[in-house]
Amino acid sequence: MIAVQEQDFNVQELYESLCIAHKTGAVVMFVGRVRDFSDDPAQSSFVLEHYPGMTEHNLEKIVSEAKQRWTLLDVKVVHRVGKLSVDDQIVFVGVSSAHRAEAFAACDFIMDYLKSRAAFWKKEITPEREEWVEAKKSDETSLERWNK
Amino acid sequence: MANLKIVFFASLRETMKCDELELQIESELTVRQLKEKLAEQLQQPLLLEEKVKAAIDFDFARDDDVIEPEKVREVAFFPPVTGG
Repeated sequence: MIAVQEQDFNVQELYESLCIAHKTGAVVMFVGRVRDFSDDPAQSSFVLEHYPGMTEHNLEKIVSEAKQRWTLLDVKVVHRVGKLSVDDQIVFVGVSSAHRAEAFAACDFIMDYLKSRAAFWKKEITPEREEWVEAKKSDETSLERWNK
Repeated sequence: MANLKIVFFASLRETMKCDELELQIESELTVRQLKEKLAEQLQQPLLLEEKVKAAIDFDFARDDDVIEPEKVREVAFFPPVTGG
């Protein structure tokens, strides 16, 4: 399941939906959140823009690649868009498998590729300024370890 | 002759003050050639900057990838992604 949505997500519900198969022995979940990036968290927010169509297309490709690399039972990715404030949840990646090694690796892989290959852009907004977040070189280089 | 939809996102869209446009193309051209054509027509040299990324019909594209009229529906230009 891949969802790009404005509304918040419920981690407990997503966790339960990852556990449906009786062969599930491991579930690894990652939640990305908006952290405080200014002196005044109450006045700070994010706007997350995406490219409808391409975003979903690339997330499907990333999940499909993960399923080819590891034996997985289920994968769920939820990414929020629109206006988000400090402490809000941004992204959920959950992976279930029979054993933990596959679930840990696949969750890590999906997040690494999501950071560099999914069409989202963040803009920080404070009362003083609006600024698009610059991509980090470290996000791109972290993909190299999956090519070994 | 084919109509190509061109879309821009994030900081590029804001700087260019343009979210989408249609362009008629007669023959195939590379992503780089399209960038050069648009940079000149729209007087937006920032399209030629190395950090500007491109996608052809939702797949990331390189400068030397070819855009074929009739086959390609949409080309996008945007800054490096920052999701997650």
